[in-house]
Amino acid sequence: MITGTGVTKTYKQRGDVLGGRTVQALRGVDFTVRKGGAVSFIGESGCGKTTLGRIIAGLETYDSGEIVINGVPMSALRPRRRQPYFRRIQLIHQDPYSALNPTRTIHQTLRAPLTLRARQTRRSDAWVDDRAEELLSLVGIDPGYVLGRYPHQLSGGMRQRVVIARALTVDPEMLVADESVSMIDVSMRLSVLALLKDLRERLGVSLVFITHDIATARYVGEDGELYVLYRGQVVERGGTEQVISAPEHPYTQSLLSAIPVLHGLEQPGPERVVPTEALDERHPDAGCLFARRCPFRTERCEAERPALRRGADASHERACFHAQRRSVIPVEAVA
Amino acid sequence: MTTTSPETGGHPGAPSPPGLAGGPGDMTAPGVRVRDLVVVYRTPLGELPALGGVSLTIEPGTITGIVGESGSGKSTLALSLLNAVQPPGRISAGSVEIDGLGNVLELGGDDLRQARGRHLGYVFQAAQNSLNPLKTVGKQLLDLGRSHGADDPRALVRDARSLLERMGLDGARVLDSHQHQLSGGMRQRVGIMLALVLNAQLVILDEPTTALDMITQATILRIVREVHKERGLTTLMVTHDIGVAAEVTDRLAVMYGGRVVEHGPTMDVIGAPSHPYTQGLIRAIPRLSGDTAEARALPGRPPTLGTLPAGGCVFRERCPLRMDVCETVEPPPVLVDRRTVACHAVAGARQERVVREERVVREQERVGREEERA
Repeated sequence: MITGTGVTKTYKQRGDVLGGRTVQALRGVDFTVRKGGAVSFIGESGCGKTTLGRIIAGLETYDSGEIVINGVPMSALRPRRRQPYFRRIQLIHQDPYSALNPTRTIHQTLRAPLTLRARQTRRSDAWVDDRAEELLSLVGIDPGYVLGRYPHQLSGGMRQRVVIARALTVDPEMLVADESVSMIDVSMRLSVLALLKDLRERLGVSLVFITHDIATARYVGEDGELYVLYRGQVVERGGTEQVISAPEHPYTQSLLSAIPVLHGLEQPGPERVVPTEALDERHPDAGCLFARRCPFRTERCEAERPALRRGADASHERACFHAQRRSVIPVEAVA
Repeated sequence: MTTTSPETGGHPGAPSPPGLAGGPGDMTAPGVRVRDLVVVYRTPLGELPALGGVSLTIEPGTITGIVGESGSGKSTLALSLLNAVQPPGRISAGSVEIDGLGNVLELGGDDLRQARGRHLGYVFQAAQNSLNPLKTVGKQLLDLGRSHGADDPRALVRDARSLLERMGLDGARVLDSHQHQLSGGMRQRVGIMLALVLNAQLVILDEPTTALDMITQATILRIVREVHKERGLTTLMVTHDIGVAAEVTDRLAVMYGGRVVEHGPTMDVIGAPSHPYTQGLIRAIPRLSGDTAEARALPGRPPTLGTLPAGGCVFRERCPLRMDVCETVEPPPVLVDRRTVACHAVAGARQERVVREERVVREQERVGREEERA
């Protein structure tokens, strides 16, 4: 289990002579990922979801706040002592084309971490090759076919499976998948998503799923939780199914309303919400971060920042003074 | 059964000579007829077909979506409409007839250059890569006007501003900006403006929303639809995202392995797909409601130029309806209800249905005659 409280991160942008502007990637984010659970972070580019994923995987520092892994606060440990904790949280990159070393065969790619693992656990060399084959079978590819091949000889979907198999070499407790299917051909995306779902069920690994595509988040983590990030703040969170079917924050509603409607199978939701203007990161930070774009804003929204508060349901929170459930997702077309 | 006549609408009076048309008198949305188009790419393995004899009729005034995965030939098809396939690619057979232009594959030199821009607007996949980073948008606009002989730069700027404002941007500010000062969604709108400003009536958008955020994507799609309607265009949208195509298009052509495997009204194709590939593609879309277990992955992987089978159906490796005939005979496109489908199984089922229906009709006639006699 991993929890974060008040995690903040600020990036300095290089600017002109007078110094750059700073970007608040995360503004005090709280989260909890339970053992075997699934948590999705969704939002547009620049909302902080990738930064949060990298912090969770131990690949990025944070300015303030606390990360606690299995009851141990990370701030109390020296960086070297944190490594064993973060090693069990593996990041799966967006781009399976650059995540694999092109000069190594898949066998070599998997053997390196497995040999290390064998030494740590006093296992034989034979175990290394057996385990490599076992992992490839686990991710649904034929070891005989891929082991001797180089990444360029594999399709995007296969490469992503190899990346997942490599992540599994260290027996992780958690996988952090950042836009892990966006570069894979559409007909093969679902099988990679199904694999992530399956690994969670079979191995009990927890999953942090980062995406802009809410429907894929629902597919892999229907029973999990969904966090909606906007400009570094969690604006809504709750059970995945609940946030999607009964969103209460106007930003979540805008995101869901923007999903293309499969005309012929679906009709647009009756209360679709369209932001009044486009995202501009130079918008002032005062008040609600979404106020400038919100069709329901009032004076209060421009003066005061709403905090994440419970609604009617204790497990469903949103940061909005005018939270109201709206029906925005497409409905089945009547045949 | 309605037929999709290949010759509906079309020819706006006498076709004007290429390169000179585009004035206000010539504002009819053109139709496009692609016939048996073959495009090959030269590779170390010999010439491989990226398009294996594509025929497609695009009716004037429609928004047609061309959907396919990487390697399906969708971008090659779009470039062929401009006669812009670059080496190592080569158009080796077929024709592309566009109303008012004739067969664009026979155009060359200045005629072709004038046709692009004046008749055909092309919005590139990554608009930021098609803009010159060193010049303001306005300067590039004037360059475009000069190269196409627009004699009134003021009118051109005025048109550009009104188009940008139509798309919700501050026209003057955008024209004074360099591309790095604009967001992805703004650049994409600049791309659309540049494609339309010379009054092109056929507009091709290549993956117009890839790399854009969801909300920006929705905005761009709305703009595409509105501008299409207001200016009476024929619009072609190339995309890998069937959802995007479903949202905006009237008609949908699904491509696989260099063939159009299904083409028909979007509502019909999405609502009741015929070709097993289209069925698999739609079933593989995760949805926002309903049972997630209903989404099913399509087995296998799409073919590349090197792995395309030489004969038979290109989809057979992944097809649940595979039959013996699929190994050897390439299925020809067959008209089924309001759409064309290239599949032996679908054509066979249709044939059976027709035979059955004929038998029913004959039986009814026989009963009718007997009743009359009685």
